[in-house]
Amino acid sequence: MPPSTFPRTAAEIVARLRAVVATAAGPGWPGRVLYALATLPIGVLCVALYAALVGSVVAVVYGIGVLLILLVLAAVRGFAGLDRRLARTLLAVDIPDGERVRRLPGVLAPLRRLVVSASTWRALGWVGVRVLLGVATLATAFFGTAVLLGLFYEVDWNLVNALPLLALVALDVVVTLVVLDLVVRLAASVAPRLLGAGAEQQIAALQQSSRRLADRNKLARDLHDTIGHSLTASLLQATAARRTLTPAEGRPVQPEFARQALGHIETNTRAALAELDRVLTVLRDGDGPAEGPAFAAPSLADLDDLLGSLRDGGLPVALVVDGEVDDVPPAVQELAYRVVQEGTTNVLRHAGTPLTVAQVVRSGDTLDVRVVNERASQLDSRPGPGGGRGLAGLRERTAAAGGTLRAEPTPTGGFELCATLPLAGAA
Amino acid sequence: MTLRLLLVDDDVLVRSGLRVILESEPDLTVVGDAGTGREALDVAAGTDPDVVLMDVRMPDMDGIAATRELVARDAQRPRVLVLTTFEDDDYLFRSLQAGASGFALKRADPDELVDAIRVVARGTSLVLPDLTRRLIASHAPARARGDAALPELTGREADVLRLVAGGLSNAEIATELYLSRETVKTHVSSVLLKLRARDRTQAVIAAYESGFMTT
Repeated sequence: MPPSTFPRTAAEIVARLRAVVATAAGPGWPGRVLYALATLPIGVLCVALYAALVGSVVAVVYGIGVLLILLVLAAVRGFAGLDRRLARTLLAVDIPDGERVRRLPGVLAPLRRLVVSASTWRALGWVGVRVLLGVATLATAFFGTAVLLGLFYEVDWNLVNALPLLALVALDVVVTLVVLDLVVRLAASVAPRLLGAGAEQQIAALQQSSRRLADRNKLARDLHDTIGHSLTASLLQATAARRTLTPAEGRPVQPEFARQALGHIETNTRAALAELDRVLTVLRDGDGPAEGPAFAAPSLADLDDLLGSLRDGGLPVALVVDGEVDDVPPAVQELAYRVVQEGTTNVLRHAGTPLTVAQVVRSGDTLDVRVVNERASQLDSRPGPGGGRGLAGLRERTAAAGGTLRAEPTPTGGFELCATLPLAGAA
Repeated sequence: MTLRLLLVDDDVLVRSGLRVILESEPDLTVVGDAGTGREALDVAAGTDPDVVLMDVRMPDMDGIAATRELVARDAQRPRVLVLTTFEDDDYLFRSLQAGASGFALKRADPDELVDAIRVVARGTSLVLPDLTRRLIASHAPARARGDAALPELTGREADVLRLVAGGLSNAEIATELYLSRETVKTHVSSVLLKLRARDRTQAVIAAYESGFMTT
């Protein structure tokens, strides 16, 4: 064993003591003095709280005790909250907030948490500690004062014993103050343990923050997949269009390509904006009350515009609307629009420009939305939208509205996207 | 010499845009395109491209798996340039590990993209040298086994590898070491041969993963 072990351990002990004292040191002695002064009245209050608790337990016999117990527990928690603030302000100790029972929804849930929550019982423990601290403070002050009075009135002062007596008086004052200060420091080091967040709360907070993180990651991924992708495709189409319109040696100007490219850009940008709108709504919802969508939600009447720009992009697409759709709720109309938008955009992206039909059929209280395309032209014989970048998000929204979404290849080599939306679901 | 290109991306619009942009360069010709990794393998077999422009995320075999397969088929041709929407570190490093020679952003200026293709085809320098070096340095597991993990390199070859891993081109290495470009080229070739690396990107990965270069 190396000879340095003992001094090192001693040094460690000193360091730890210093750390305890340092954490409890606070903003300075005025805060500690105020805290010490408040200890006595608060101690009396705590005794009263305990008496009230015992009293209400006795009152159970008379039938009204349960209510009283709840009241006392609530008072204990309220007192703990005030005392937490007191300790923070006067002693500058860092105490995290306890569980907020009042924030729970309903009437029974807060009451149940009030009784079951570990922080209630730790607050009760703190009330006990407060009583002990009050007793310790009182005893110290009493003993110190008694000694002081004894020195002044029970002893005959003369020139010979004056110096030693003065020294004793000073010693008494210093010892009393030091003990009082120790009591305050003890309170400062115990308070965070009984007033702070318990393990279960810390775990819950951790879980909540990790859930929030997961949500944000998902949102980032969605943005990456939808908006990022649409903008990239639009950028490349725009770059290409500019090149085809710029005359150069050995390269003819191709206005037809440029016209199609502009159609694609229009479609893609519109889809990107819709996605941006959705993501912003999600973000606003997460941060407090939603202020409503930034853009007017599209309706079935806007489908003509959408398909027009797709046709300009070279996609031969027809729209068939069956049944009365004017009274379809706006939320369902928007969702139906999104289905057509996603379906047709995917056709353009993954299959080129095959013949495509978008169908909206109202039957009773369901709306069927279908986008189906023929087998891809031989130039672009690609499989259908296998991954479906925006498809996952659309499926979630459809499910949330109580509907279903299917996406599958057709037997004839085409692809079909089909949504069934209940009219009552998202009204 | 005309470079033969194969475009691989699951979005028709990206492919058609790239085709027009690249075909407007006199020394580039697009010999085929594909919408999935699996399709890319078929088309590559039939068209013998010099450079494959490869998207990373695609249905039915992603760009990383397709790159690995292409490299396994032929150690020299074609070179793979990964095209990415965002600088997603993890995907990019995995593509390089799979054998891609470099990467470029889809949103890059067309001239930069064309440049990257030419650099990949020539192999005399890294594409986006700083980014690539940093990407490899930060992802390569720090095994720190020292030079022992690399086959015996001569002193000059080790110098050259160090500079290659630093992102320098052959011309820059020639200036740095007071050698002729031809000599540098010979050294690089022999380093690649000894490391069994198909190009300098793979040599840089080997240099970092072996601990020859430390981060």
